[in-house]
Amino acid sequence: MEVTTSSLSGAPLLEVSGEIDHATCDLLSHSMSAALAGDDPIVLVDASQITYLDSSGISLLFATVRRLRHKGWVGIIGANANVRRLMEIVGLTVDNGLRLFPDRPTAAQAVKDTSSE
Amino acid sequence: MSSKKSTLRRRMCTKAEPSELAVIRRFVEEVAVSANLHNSRVFDLKVAVSEACANAVEHAGRNRGQLEVTALHTCGRLTFEILDTGAFHVPEADLASRRENRGLGLPLMVALMDEVNISRLREEGTRVTLSVFLDHPVEAADTG
Repeated sequence: MEVTTSSLSGAPLLEVSGEIDHATCDLLSHSMSAALAGDDPIVLVDASQITYLDSSGISLLFATVRRLRHKGWVGIIGANANVRRLMEIVGLTVDNGLRLFPDRPTAAQAVKDTSSE
Repeated sequence: MSSKKSTLRRRMCTKAEPSELAVIRRFVEEVAVSANLHNSRVFDLKVAVSEACANAVEHAGRNRGQLEVTALHTCGRLTFEILDTGAFHVPEADLASRRENRGLGLPLMVALMDEVNISRLREEGTRVTLSVFLDHPVEAADTG
């Protein structure tokens, strides 16, 4: 698994590729903490290159949603059908604190809309 | 048209270490793809087996035990058996940890599989079997 951190419309963006499992999740967890160290209300994850996700990654997403609960949201971009289905099964997708986007432009627009609210 | 039950069995052994989970998933993928399972079912099996193994790894402690994963492909189902020779434990069912969403392993296995069995081994250890039923049974190839 690899994580690259940048930003999109001013929100931190984690570009994650490969497999997130119990062996690799710590790296993502550290990157997530670092990305949120600036107290941003939104964090984006480009998930289009994530090929595998299990309870370790799901737990991290739940924790991040909880962390941003009263100030913003977590945006997941371009997750494949299997990854999306897994997030649905555990109830992540019905949580207001998590938003799914098909691509970066849509996510960028949502960040702008939230910032101007 | 043969009436004899055709069975394909494959097995892998590994150390109960986190880094082996990816290797185990390659094995699951190989078996599931050769059983002609749909991409989404292959993914389900990878998650379920990996979760069961991750749990065994978590309970393995410092004396890393052996982890044995056996695939059994009969005409009606594909089953993965995970044998862990450590102490008996129910996979990721620690209710106290649910609050932190850490106990998601077992619920995921149950949600993704058609059948889940967990048993305590007489000689210390845990056996988890995870099965998917095959809608369109494909005669498994002879093992040779």
